[in-house]
Amino acid sequence: MTQKSSFLTKLGQTVAVLLVTALFVSLGLWQLQRAADLKESLKVALVVDTNVVPLESITSPRQAIPPSALNRTVSITGKYIANFKAANQKDGNGVIQDWESALLQIGDSSAILVVRGLWSERLLNPDIQQSMDIQIEGLLVASQDGDRARNVPGEISRLDSAVVVSLTDLDLFDGYIVAISEATRTESLERTRVVPEKLQSRIPGFYWQHLSYVVIWWLMAAVVVFLPFYRRRVST
Amino acid sequence: MSGALKRFRVMAIIAGVMSLLLWFVDLPVAYLLNNDDWKSMVAWIPFVHGWIYAVYVLTALQFATKARWSLKKTVWLILAGTLPIASFAAERRVVRQYS
Repeated sequence: MTQKSSFLTKLGQTVAVLLVTALFVSLGLWQLQRAADLKESLKVALVVDTNVVPLESITSPRQAIPPSALNRTVSITGKYIANFKAANQKDGNGVIQDWESALLQIGDSSAILVVRGLWSERLLNPDIQQSMDIQIEGLLVASQDGDRARNVPGEISRLDSAVVVSLTDLDLFDGYIVAISEATRTESLERTRVVPEKLQSRIPGFYWQHLSYVVIWWLMAAVVVFLPFYRRRVST
Repeated sequence: MSGALKRFRVMAIIAGVMSLLLWFVDLPVAYLLNNDDWKSMVAWIPFVHGWIYAVYVLTALQFATKARWSLKKTVWLILAGTLPIASFAAERRVVRQYS
């Protein structure tokens, strides 16, 4: 009976050690994957592909933007169905201003946020009606993470489709477009365009930081494996 | 035993200081203040804290093993490194008991 209980205790300890080791090794692998994802997303950020591609050829509504689609120049045609002030937005030159953003309905079932330009110039094209088809070219950018303002009627706290999801039944695209040009069937719409903020990875931290966490987790895994032997050595 | 105790005491104090910095400097700046410059100034804190804590765990394990502590007590000692004041309290308790 005692032998059996001792065996079960040892078996339990071994299983516990293996489980904890597997957990630490998995956490190390997770950090390794995050380091690789971060490196990949920063590589995308550095590449500026100026070829214009249709939006729907590189991403779809209700799914996260693939890293390969970020920072691409896209074209899309649709109708503006709502306008919002996006306050306290910092552009690529570090200038903080209020931007005009609009929800562009594409076809019958989907929509995407578009940064049209400066909020102060929102009345420059009074002839645009909601029924008009607008053809847009612009940069596809990842949704913002942190709020820049409060969510109040007519204003959005950040450029993120999640903020407007309750206002529409349409399927929303992840990310938003910073318009480079807008045109109706008869004329192009002239206004000051904003320079998008430098693209940052959505994975926080630095590449080497994640790699160092890999070392820490795997070191902990090694410690857990070594600890029973060390305890035995100390007790003898 | 005295070497392991010394190593644990040094790491408990350093880990305590790093926890104070993490909880009362880095986290408020990261989550309460919207200032990118400040955020970049304190970005080193969680990284250094992670490494310091790993070394703290190693010294705590070595000390607890040599002192023949139970698994439960050892786990509490390891967790003490995650809270700002707990590692200082653990260090004082260990000093009272073993010095």
